[in-house]
Amino acid sequence: MATPPTSAERAAAPAPGPVSPRQAGTARPPRRAAARLGLPVLLVLVAVVTVTPFAVMVLVAFAPAGGQTLPGALDVGRATPDNFADVLAGADITRWAVNSLVYSLVSVLLILLFSSMAGYAFAKKRFPGREILFWSFLATLMVPFQATLIPYYILVSELGGVDTYWGLIVPTLANSQAVFLMRQFIVQLPDELFEAAKIDGASEWRIYTTVVVPLIRPVLATLGVFVFLWHWNDFLWPLVIGQSEEMRTLTVGLATLEGENVAINQVMAGATITVVPCLLVFALLQRYLTDSIATSGLKS
Amino acid sequence: MRKAATDEIAPDEGGGPPGAGGPSSGAEGTGSPGRGPRAAPAAAGARSGIPRRREALTGLAFVAPMLALFVVFRFGPTLGAAFLSVTDYRLSGEWTFIGAGNYTRLLGDDLFWESLGVTVVYTALYVPMTVVLALGTAVLLHRTLWMRGFFRGLFFLPYVTSIVLAAVIWKWIYEVQDGLINASLGLLGAGPVDFLGSESLVLPSIAAASAWKGFGYSMLILLAGLQSIPREVTEAATIDGASGWQRFRWVTLPLLRPVLFFVLVIEAILGFQVFDAMYVMTAGGPVRASYSLVYFLYDSGFKFFDFGYASAVGLVLFVIVLVFSLIQRRLVGRDAD
Repeated sequence: MATPPTSAERAAAPAPGPVSPRQAGTARPPRRAAARLGLPVLLVLVAVVTVTPFAVMVLVAFAPAGGQTLPGALDVGRATPDNFADVLAGADITRWAVNSLVYSLVSVLLILLFSSMAGYAFAKKRFPGREILFWSFLATLMVPFQATLIPYYILVSELGGVDTYWGLIVPTLANSQAVFLMRQFIVQLPDELFEAAKIDGASEWRIYTTVVVPLIRPVLATLGVFVFLWHWNDFLWPLVIGQSEEMRTLTVGLATLEGENVAINQVMAGATITVVPCLLVFALLQRYLTDSIATSGLKS
Repeated sequence: MRKAATDEIAPDEGGGPPGAGGPSSGAEGTGSPGRGPRAAPAAAGARSGIPRRREALTGLAFVAPMLALFVVFRFGPTLGAAFLSVTDYRLSGEWTFIGAGNYTRLLGDDLFWESLGVTVVYTALYVPMTVVLALGTAVLLHRTLWMRGFFRGLFFLPYVTSIVLAAVIWKWIYEVQDGLINASLGLLGAGPVDFLGSESLVLPSIAAASAWKGFGYSMLILLAGLQSIPREVTEAATIDGASGWQRFRWVTLPLLRPVLFFVLVIEAILGFQVFDAMYVMTAGGPVRASYSLVYFLYDSGFKFFDFGYASAVGLVLFVIVLVFSLIQRRLVGRDAD
């Protein structure tokens, strides 16, 4: 019964033909059951692989000094916070964390402000050169950051921005994706809202703050989370512009910890500290974030 | 919901008439975008002239902060990169115009070709790993309803962390002495493998770590693609007697092709920009077996302060990314028709 639909039938149905009901009746019940069980089992397997690196990070971070080998790290009874204390005492992690926070939070606020203003203008105002400007903003997405790294660095260092917060933050504010997202969202808002406010005698700035901003709160939240994660996880730009030890961000600091002769337990403690804010932000806004990434196509 | 949102955006993206988004723009929709407002007073009379100019001014005022940032920090450096690449600009700030000098130098630079080769091989390893993982998990999530949200979040978790973090953790996992993999191999009685110290294993090892970090993004895009396939199509195939694999191969996969292609190109562009992982895990070694194009750019600029030369490398990277973007635009555009 298994052989009949051989060469002739297969050759006859080459392309999109979901045909040849081979072994249709007989093999079904056991295969169905296997598939029913197989999917969750596969899911759990992939989940284990996904989580293992995080798990070993935490285990090694809490293992006693020198306990970086597998059996030692797995001995949860000997868990100790010493590595965290050591790495905090040895390296300037608190300072790096402050730098990361300043870099991420200030960037979030300014990008949300400037991109929503620009998005409002691009969506609802007519002014000369509007389309050209919008598309030239978008065109910069095609230029990878690394390709312009050198002129970026020269520019910022000529302006005296090396090892300063503004040198770190300001150049990253020109964000095409943010402007694009804002414009696409604001375009869909009905014009009548703005006209009604105008008839009531509201100034443009007032319309922006009291009509536009409240309406776009969901996009502001989504974009805010993304910008935070992009900046918190950023590496190359902070590496280049923060040259002194005090101006390192957490990611750059973590990379240098790794390079220097710091015990692996302490490195993992540092890594755990670095990842906590990401996980917090993610845990709070998970559903939101994963839905919007699929629809808006945001990628750093 | 999702379908509706993208449909509303789509007409505007197509470069349609300016201001197509708002009903009020119908009156002067004939002019070109730039000239419309300025030409308006004469045509529409003095009554609407003043409001138009005010609208233009407020529009410009609202764009101004972002525009200033873009002029100084996007357009400027992009032109700057092109300019620097035809000079011998160094740390001193002195420079002379050398035309194609940097580019001919690149052609004869073994290190450049080596780094380009490393980048191509890395991308060829990273992209299939990531996309297979993303497609596999997307299909799994699509087929099961059992704790779908939980698993989706879990698989997305590595994506929200930094590449540096992934590199630090995986470097330890790959460690010869106590690393997770070698410790496990040791329990099974297998000898230790020097993943990051071997010239042939280093790129697959880094690619695997990067795939672990990055697959969540493509997974979500693919999952959205799977969910947009009408259920009737796959149900019809089931009634025709197609098995699960046949349905996937002949129905789902062809319908998913545009999304799959989008994801492939996005990941390939990312693959060509690889730097962080190698900087942290291997410092380009062993013997430059993981010395990528961006690493070469970074060293040229910040180790040898050869800024003109490094900018030329940047332009090569730009052209590579541009080619990928254009291919994507062309193929995805055609599929959409």
